[in-house]
Amino acid sequence: MDFSLTEDQETFRGHIRKMLDKFGGTQVAREMIVNKTENLQKLYSMLAELGCTAINIPEVYDGLDLDSLDLVPTYEELGRSLVPGLFMETNALAVPILKKYGTTQQQQTYLSAIVTGQKQISFAALEPFNDFSPSGIECSLESRDGQYVLNGTKTLVPEAGFADAFLVVARTNDDQQDGLTLLLIDKTDELTITPQTSFDEAKHVAKLDFYDFKITQQQIIGEVDKGWDNLQEGLLYFNAALSSYLVGAMESVVHMATEYANMREQFGQKIGRFQAIKHSIVDMKVNLEIARSLSHYANWVVDTDEVDREAAVYSARSYATEKFIEVASHNIQIHGGIGFTEEIDCHLFVKRARYYDQYLGSTSFYQEKVVASLGW
Amino acid sequence: MDFTFSKKEEKFRTELRTWLEENLPEGWLEGKRELPEDVEEYSRVLRQWQNTLYEGGWAAIAWPKEYGGRDASLMEEIIYHQEMVKVKAPPLINYIGIHMVGPTLIDVGTDEQKEKYLKKILTGEEIWCQGYSEPNAGSDLTAIKTSAVKDGDRWLINGQKVWTSYGHVADKCFLLARTSTHPEKKHRGITVFLMNMDQPGVETVPIVQMDGHKDFNEVYMTDAVATDADIVGQLDSGWHVLIALMLHERSGIGAELFTLEQQFNDTVKMAQQYKVNGQSLLMDPQIRQKMASFYARVRGSLLNYYRNLTTTLKNGQPGPESSIDKLVVSELTKELSSFAVEIQGHQGMLWQEDAPVDAKWQSLFLSSFGHTIGGGTSEVQRNTIGERVLGLPKDMGR
Repeated sequence: MDFSLTEDQETFRGHIRKMLDKFGGTQVAREMIVNKTENLQKLYSMLAELGCTAINIPEVYDGLDLDSLDLVPTYEELGRSLVPGLFMETNALAVPILKKYGTTQQQQTYLSAIVTGQKQISFAALEPFNDFSPSGIECSLESRDGQYVLNGTKTLVPEAGFADAFLVVARTNDDQQDGLTLLLIDKTDELTITPQTSFDEAKHVAKLDFYDFKITQQQIIGEVDKGWDNLQEGLLYFNAALSSYLVGAMESVVHMATEYANMREQFGQKIGRFQAIKHSIVDMKVNLEIARSLSHYANWVVDTDEVDREAAVYSARSYATEKFIEVASHNIQIHGGIGFTEEIDCHLFVKRARYYDQYLGSTSFYQEKVVASLGW
Repeated sequence: MDFTFSKKEEKFRTELRTWLEENLPEGWLEGKRELPEDVEEYSRVLRQWQNTLYEGGWAAIAWPKEYGGRDASLMEEIIYHQEMVKVKAPPLINYIGIHMVGPTLIDVGTDEQKEKYLKKILTGEEIWCQGYSEPNAGSDLTAIKTSAVKDGDRWLINGQKVWTSYGHVADKCFLLARTSTHPEKKHRGITVFLMNMDQPGVETVPIVQMDGHKDFNEVYMTDAVATDADIVGQLDSGWHVLIALMLHERSGIGAELFTLEQQFNDTVKMAQQYKVNGQSLLMDPQIRQKMASFYARVRGSLLNYYRNLTTTLKNGQPGPESSIDKLVVSELTKELSSFAVEIQGHQGMLWQEDAPVDAKWQSLFLSSFGHTIGGGTSEVQRNTIGERVLGLPKDMGR
């Protein structure tokens, strides 16, 4: 019995933390608000230099061929500083999908370039006024005059500005409910990208419009009409990763609340002495530790064929999103008036918590997936 | 990450499992698990079970071999709890003797005390209770007023204890009494006595709980007698004995978590089978979502326990984070018990022979309120976590 990260993994965490601290914690996230992205780009190349982008990539593509669990320290540390960017979309979604369903040529084109940090991949799945289900995907890929064309709109595409390519979900068959296909589209000038305004300004989102956009066979990932199932497999890795990112963010929040309660004085004493405050922070801490245990397990189980593989990942994701918004909200309350200001980081965490709680399905959507995967 | 058990551990599991199959009371594994209502009969049956455990060498596996234990490793203790929960084994009537008194005596008891008590704890010949709480000393145990005063070569004990589990069947009491007064340092001046329950000065009155059971007692002491030979550790240093005893506790929360996991699995089965308007409760989207939420929390608590257990295995002792497990398991048991009755709708109120499926759900709901009080209230647990894990300022009064 050993349920812990290894010493190597913890040492690696130390390196990442040191590097991120040099960037000033949430400073990189704050720069996104004013559209300054140089430091984020620099940070991403540092991640590549440290080897983070190589962890789950096969050795033939210059990767380290390690496990998902080896990525956990990176995810947690990125979450701790609320770093935006496409690390998870690239390494925890595009990479597993390319490894499982990509052709040799597609793997050659992308995987080595991901290791070096030269390619970052965004995810274009969501559509306006549709939910995240097969019937919510209307963006259509048709074969016309011996050529594929893509039409439709994708919304809330993360960090489209840095993306070198987009993983796109498109409808290829109207008769089958899940007749969907995955595409990997390189960014070119022909793509219509329109930045969108989100209240989580520390993360950029954009709208992608496709008008008879030409797609080649080379851009189709995996079997045509089987894209939804393949995507679900890839999303297991992404959601396990996301749960770890959120754990890192929660850790920051609990730390902030504890520090403030140990410093702020009212009625002649530290407010952390009041049980109303103390117990609230303890509950935050308990939620954090349970989320951490679920996320460590999720990132371990995803590389195995254990029977609870899906249930474990969906549980980790739904628990983390549900508790992160709760914990981040309590943090504002504990800070009182100052917590309501732009100056203090509290709001950055609440906004990101809101973002992920409804990204690619709600908490209750994932709870339903837990139950379904258990066969209940 | 390694969730496997070693060959030695698996062998231990098989040995215990085989022994249980052969030695559990007749019909137990098939579901015949009712225990007698009558106190005398209840006590007789459970003493017999305790003795069966002793004869099989399974009464106190964590004790050293020289005192009749097995020198079990922490993992073996975990396996022991898993297997006992799995077969819903009869309760251990000498739980306090096995898990608290025995280890303490082995640690700090005199040779005479070890000789006199240990074997009888194992066999169930002497059942122990614990005299800690008093009407005005609950969460604040230092406020005890029960006094022991020297009278010639004996001690006269006067006062009242409350919430004494097994008090009505116990032969012996591990008793905290005040032997001197120190208003500034209230934890000083407390002494642990090994008190005979069967004597004129001791009267036991059962407390009827909200679930109808009588698991606890009030114990009144009027010039009850003990001797110097009955003192554990040093005079006035009972608090140190208590702290040492708490450090012995290393696997009890595991047993509670495995029970919670089993209760959750049973709840799923019940919800599958329970039909409202001809439809299984598990088809109701709201119930499904709540079930998923409980699944995550139950799994999360177990995994968190394993993570803390790993720390204990590596460092030889639990870290302060382990205090989170107790809070989590008791709160979650209470919530899950409430949920299981809630989803039964209006029929959920019916109990005993009128219960819609099995009266155990209603009983679990009623008894669950004790979980967040006994063994340290959730509020006290939160203070401990806040101060020891997070480093928040100490609470008032301490």
